[in-house]
Amino acid sequence: MFCLSEMEDTVRVPPDLLNLPLEVAIKKVLQKLLLNKVLSIGLCVSIYDIKSAEGGFVLPGDGPATYKVRFIIVVFRPFVGEVIAARFKESDSNGLRLTLGFFEDIYVPAPLIPRPNRCEPDPYNRNQMRWVWIFEEQEYIIDDSCQINFRVENISYPPVPTEQAEDAKPFAPMVITGTIDDDGLGPVSWWEGCSERNNEDDDT
Amino acid sequence: IFIYVFFFFNSKSFPFFLFYESKHRCEYVCRVKANAGALTNFEVLDLLNSRGASKDTTRVIASETVSRSEYKVYDYLMETAASTQTRDSVTKFSDKCKGFKLAKAEILNIINLRPSSDVELTPILEKPDEREIDIEGILALVQELLPPLPTVEAHKENEQEETEDGEQPNMETSV
Repeated sequence: MFCLSEMEDTVRVPPDLLNLPLEVAIKKVLQKLLLNKVLSIGLCVSIYDIKSAEGGFVLPGDGPATYKVRFIIVVFRPFVGEVIAARFKESDSNGLRLTLGFFEDIYVPAPLIPRPNRCEPDPYNRNQMRWVWIFEEQEYIIDDSCQINFRVENISYPPVPTEQAEDAKPFAPMVITGTIDDDGLGPVSWWEGCSERNNEDDDT
Repeated sequence: IFIYVFFFFNSKSFPFFLFYESKHRCEYVCRVKANAGALTNFEVLDLLNSRGASKDTTRVIASETVSRSEYKVYDYLMETAASTQTRDSVTKFSDKCKGFKLAKAEILNIINLRPSSDVELTPILEKPDEREIDIEGILALVQELLPPLPTVEAHKENEQEETEDGEQPNMETSV
């Protein structure tokens, strides 16, 4: 889910950082600019390396030194079809929301939850709805008891809204849509001991 | 309630910023190579470790080289298979996978997830029925070359210690 991305840009190093070694100063500026921000290619997770920096000119009327920098960053961008381990965050009548800690905008919409299922008010949490999968007369609750594996269906970068209501959810610049409707997906506790059951069938 | 600030820069080489509560969007036009190589979770964890993420438990001294958001990635990766892997095991596994006719993305996914059963491996593969893939062979290779997942190891260690000392040591429960 991570990859390297090579970029080139003009970086302005403010005067208060110019006493540091150049590479450190440029890295600091890049970190402030890019770290934990969503670019068109994904979420920037780390500055990997600075390949080259040239220039260092101070433009008239401007304090910072301007460098043309080539650098590599580590980007979080899963591919469609990738299976990722995540944790449950919350759920409502539209579906589930999963989190990776550093990225929390993973949604599993209701049609991608295995059926038959039902959605009921969560007895432990008044504000939430709880999803339950019904299989062979057994009920499997989806909650935060264990890791949930999901498969990436789609990644979208919604356009930035120009206006937002006061109580609307914070804008998510990168949204991953996932599915848990397949063998081996969903909470890992659903599939534990499954291989043993399969072996028993083979023996008989 | 959130606060957002607009910044406009005259020079066209500056990015256009829009700040929101948590995640931000940055319109970058100067991109040379969008994909300069995929990384396994292990490699990213190794990178963070080389910057000192594992060494400072207070996370204050190392904050010069490892930022808060990078620590969040570190915490996530420490709970996955990457935390017990070594460069050697990952390279060897990736080499030996060549005989199984798997796509690079699938090999990467297997390394990241470390499936230990048929049902864990099949969602990773694309159209496994049409491709005649040696599922048993891949699982055997995973078992042989890739270290087990972190919680499994903690359980096994504790079981051994229990038989030796008769005491139950503190077990780290993964939440």
